[in-house]
Amino acid sequence: MDRTEIRQALRDFIQRSMRVPALGDDDDLFESGIVNSLFAVQLMTFVEKKFAVEVAMEDLEIANFRSIDATAGFVLRKNGLHAAAAD
Amino acid sequence: MQQLLTELHQARHEEFKAFAAANVAPAAAEWDRDQRLPREVLAALGERGYLGATIAPEYGGRGWDTVTFGLLSEALGRGSAAFTGVLTVQSMVAMALHKWGSAAQKNQWLPRLASGAALGAIALTEPTGGSDLQAMTTVFRHADGSLRINGIKRWISCAQFADVFLVFGKLDAQPAACLVPREQISIEPIHDLMGFRAAGLAELVFRDAEVPAANLVGKPGFALSHMAPVALQYGRLSTAWSAMGLLRGCFEESVAYAAGRKIDGLGMIRALIARMGTDLKAGALLCHAACRAQDERLPEAFETALMAKYFASRAAVRAASDAVQIRGASGCHGSSPVSRYYRDAKIMEIIEGTTQVHEDILGRLFVG
Repeated sequence: MDRTEIRQALRDFIQRSMRVPALGDDDDLFESGIVNSLFAVQLMTFVEKKFAVEVAMEDLEIANFRSIDATAGFVLRKNGLHAAAAD
Repeated sequence: MQQLLTELHQARHEEFKAFAAANVAPAAAEWDRDQRLPREVLAALGERGYLGATIAPEYGGRGWDTVTFGLLSEALGRGSAAFTGVLTVQSMVAMALHKWGSAAQKNQWLPRLASGAALGAIALTEPTGGSDLQAMTTVFRHADGSLRINGIKRWISCAQFADVFLVFGKLDAQPAACLVPREQISIEPIHDLMGFRAAGLAELVFRDAEVPAANLVGKPGFALSHMAPVALQYGRLSTAWSAMGLLRGCFEESVAYAAGRKIDGLGMIRALIARMGTDLKAGALLCHAACRAQDERLPEAFETALMAKYFASRAAVRAASDAVQIRGASGCHGSSPVSRYYRDAKIMEIIEGTTQVHEDILGRLFVG
């Protein structure tokens, strides 16, 4: 998956789960209140399952999950796709 | 539900039920009366590998799937809900460590938790508020490479016999969690609960309790958003299945009682038993779906576990109330197991999040 596909998969999941009508790549998921305590672990589980990555203790940074684009960047970094992450 | 289980699931469930029938059910009334669990029966849980049911084999655990863990909780719950609390709490601590513990913490504690050499407890609830976790007042403070802990936790299951506690508090105003050995805590047993009387509840007082800073689990700031939900997920699944075991007890006791009675009101009894039997099947399907979702690591695993615990605990309360009603005066006496089921079932509506907390979370999920 490239960055665009990852973003789309994340957007689909968040919109479906949280009934959000529209969501930009850089919208702040935390400040907007989209990510509550239940959805935080659901989003983490989705990322782990969908993109075959493990969210480890050292990955627990708000910056990694602040927006769709930030989360896509995290997935790419975890998969070692540094070049794509820099797109 | 049998058709949803593999042959291995079914065989293990039979093994668990045989263990509970031989080692748990016969002594459950005595444990309830004495308000304690004998060390030897806790050791038997460890020897069988049951305390390491969900812990990975690399740490000495069984590494069973969540469905098998659920079936174990169900079988033990049929014998004693209070006793099943040990499995519930052990799994909560172990799985939180599994996900968020450091390599050193996993290597130190998971093999001991798996074998039963160490028993764990989870310290979340405080005297001033159980459901509002954000308001907790227990404080962690850095001090020369150590952490100093001050605060009070109350209603902590298994605290009377636990060796290590996963304690939640705030570090620099951020939610955090750390491992605290028993020796650092002043532990005051709580007696005379209406149910779960053998579950070893206690109040914990931390007065400048000191642990190495390396005992912090996960990162400060994420203890309530990411760590507690992992622990509570296993707590809810185990409690839901344990409630189904208790419900099965109500059903079996009531069917046996009705079969031995020749009374005019049998029709009314049938109606109550019909509801129990239906709840038994519906609850088992929901619990199974929640465990399958967990095994498949689906995001909806969390909400399905909430639904399973919400449904099963309420159904258990209804069934236990009806089981007492069916027996009449004899059901109100301590010599009848259904009186214990009734008292224990009510506790299941409160632990791992009250019914109202579940309704709030699920309601927000459905309607925003």
